[in-house]
Amino acid sequence: MKINRRAFALVALVAAIAASLVSATAGGAARHAGVSGSLTVWVDSVRLPAAKLYAKTHPNVKLHIVTFDGDGNGATTLQAKIQLWNRTGNGWPDVIFSEQVNDPVWMASKPFDYAANLEGGVFPEKIINQIPKPSIAQCTVNGHLVCVQDNLAPEVLYYNKKLMTQFGYQVPTTWQQWAQIGDDVAKNHPGYIIGTVGDSYGHWLYLWADQCPLSTLKSANTVLINASDPHCTRMASLLDPLIANKSVSDVTVFSPDFAKQYGGDADKVLMMPGPAWYALAVFRDTLKLPAGEWTATTPLRWGTEPVVTGQVGGGPWIISKHTKNMAAAVDFVQWNVAGAKLNTKVANYSAIAPGLPSYTPAATAWLNWLGKDPFFASPPGAAIGKAANQIWQGWGLVTYPDQPVWSNSVVTQLVAGKSLSSLLPALGQGLSQAAQAAGYKVVSK
Amino acid sequence: MRGLRVPRGLPFVLPYLPFLIVFGIAPTIYALDLAFTNATGGWAWFHNFVRTFDDYRFVPAFKHILLYTSVWLAMLVVIVVGLALLLHGRANRVSSTFRFIFYMPGALAGAASVLVWLFMLDPVVSPGRFLLQHVLGATLFAQSIAPGNLPFIFAMIAFWTGAGGWIVVMYGALNTIPHDLEEAARIDGASPIQIALRLKLPLIRKWIAYMVILSFATGTQLFVEPQLVNEASLGLVPDTWSPNQLAYQLAFRYADFNGAAAIAVDLLFIGLVGAFLIVTRTGLFRTDD
Repeated sequence: MKINRRAFALVALVAAIAASLVSATAGGAARHAGVSGSLTVWVDSVRLPAAKLYAKTHPNVKLHIVTFDGDGNGATTLQAKIQLWNRTGNGWPDVIFSEQVNDPVWMASKPFDYAANLEGGVFPEKIINQIPKPSIAQCTVNGHLVCVQDNLAPEVLYYNKKLMTQFGYQVPTTWQQWAQIGDDVAKNHPGYIIGTVGDSYGHWLYLWADQCPLSTLKSANTVLINASDPHCTRMASLLDPLIANKSVSDVTVFSPDFAKQYGGDADKVLMMPGPAWYALAVFRDTLKLPAGEWTATTPLRWGTEPVVTGQVGGGPWIISKHTKNMAAAVDFVQWNVAGAKLNTKVANYSAIAPGLPSYTPAATAWLNWLGKDPFFASPPGAAIGKAANQIWQGWGLVTYPDQPVWSNSVVTQLVAGKSLSSLLPALGQGLSQAAQAAGYKVVSK
Repeated sequence: MRGLRVPRGLPFVLPYLPFLIVFGIAPTIYALDLAFTNATGGWAWFHNFVRTFDDYRFVPAFKHILLYTSVWLAMLVVIVVGLALLLHGRANRVSSTFRFIFYMPGALAGAASVLVWLFMLDPVVSPGRFLLQHVLGATLFAQSIAPGNLPFIFAMIAFWTGAGGWIVVMYGALNTIPHDLEEAARIDGASPIQIALRLKLPLIRKWIAYMVILSFATGTQLFVEPQLVNEASLGLVPDTWSPNQLAYQLAFRYADFNGAAAIAVDLLFIGLVGAFLIVTRTGLFRTDD
């Protein structure tokens, strides 16, 4: 969801790229000769290069591209727009990309009622069958498939191979080992960090990954929120000493402060739990860490418990139930999910496929391509690919965004010096209030 | 005489009237209608008002706005009037230079000024880093915009976008004071400070009241600043910080237009009461003095 920080760089690339693509277009145009008519799509700036490439390769489709904020970080852009379109009875775009993985939940519910049902052959089954189960589950609302995720965003543990060797640390496999290294880093290598809790999605990285029940759907309208569950408190107790000794930062990776303190030539990030798209978008492009040092390993687990992980993002494509051109809408989404991302040879592939593709053959191609990037010390692909099936399914997607609650009830207080453990009740209460305001029944067991 | 003035004034307000009706009065009536009905259009009495009052975000939002508006209005009255009085005592060239300087921040209207302020408030990039670190104790953006600082920060943003314009208006008001009055006061032995406080200030009282009424209404309807800071801080500042934002969220996140209208009517009521008090206390519309 945060990929849009690269927006400007990507947009700047587009002009140059468009010219270089002309040669690659002929084949594509012939293949999709059956689709025509006009199509309006709403995309965020990160998806823009792909949408433009579609327009280029599909001259029969009159594509209107509208870029918007992507509805990320709990914005209400799409809620507002869809309601207005519903009120006026027209104007709906045929396809929307959202950065907010939970958006399809309300889009497929009243009063918004926007998302088309993609079952029954509307969207090709052969593609749906090649998308990992957790992803399909997240796009299934009230028993119906209403979206297709553009990319998957499972959390893995990234680490700086060079520094880990230099400092003499073993790559951790459990949260406990990770925390132990944090303690040692604080004592012997102060200034280096093993992660950050300051992001607007910090709870997904640490609490989702430890099966903390903050968004567990008991039924469509009942959500279990229990911040005092041991799965929440034990992770908070593990993190608190690390936040206190500064080996875990409380600053978001997207702040200029973070880049200055830990990024670039400072090279102070030793490890970082983060989602698939961090690989290039954050480490290489935002933090500009030196090349040849980084790789990823399997998600951390709690002691001897099975490996489960969190997720940050996984933006979905949603087709409008009001579309007059379903064939072109499906073709556009299909091309984005399973077409364009297969061809790693295309000049701006990193702009076309900024994250781990949801379609498995494309994911394989992407991970291979990622492994060849000189930024990495060794290919991170295996860990990332596997993690896509390890996302904890107990964290259900709900109609309200939970990031703002984490940000304003926890992050603002962490930077003021409070401990995470002391803030869990406020987080639980904030989430319960948000859930109730959105019409959910909240239970604690 | 008074009877004749009305038709003579009519052509002046005529171009304004259609817009007032379409964009001012009609939406107000629509809001009143929505506020007292439910989603199906049935009469709901005060249900929407009670319901929104019970919302867990309602009271905090109004508390924020109360503090913000008080701080902002106090700054506006004291500093704007103070600066205008100071300027009015200077030689013409000096005062016009300063008027221009004071006006400049106001040229960065609304949203644009907030974007500039986002940089000003980030200790990493701010030219005012020293102040942020030593006055607010902030070394991080998240600390600059800590919940307790927000009313003051928004007041500061609003002050600098609006103050310049008001200083010009107040200066204009001071120019309407007949020169003989000032002359007479000086001959009677009044010091510049006495002239400013005893003579000029009472004579521009109505202009101050006018500024306070308009600013009070704008202040209680704060939206752009917290909304942009909310988005720029990725949610560190709640998206329901001000009542207007809460109304927006109710309407567009929860499709609760009736609840949103109820909050809009609350704000209208507060604005009307505020205006009524100021008008009656300052004699804004009295023409016989």
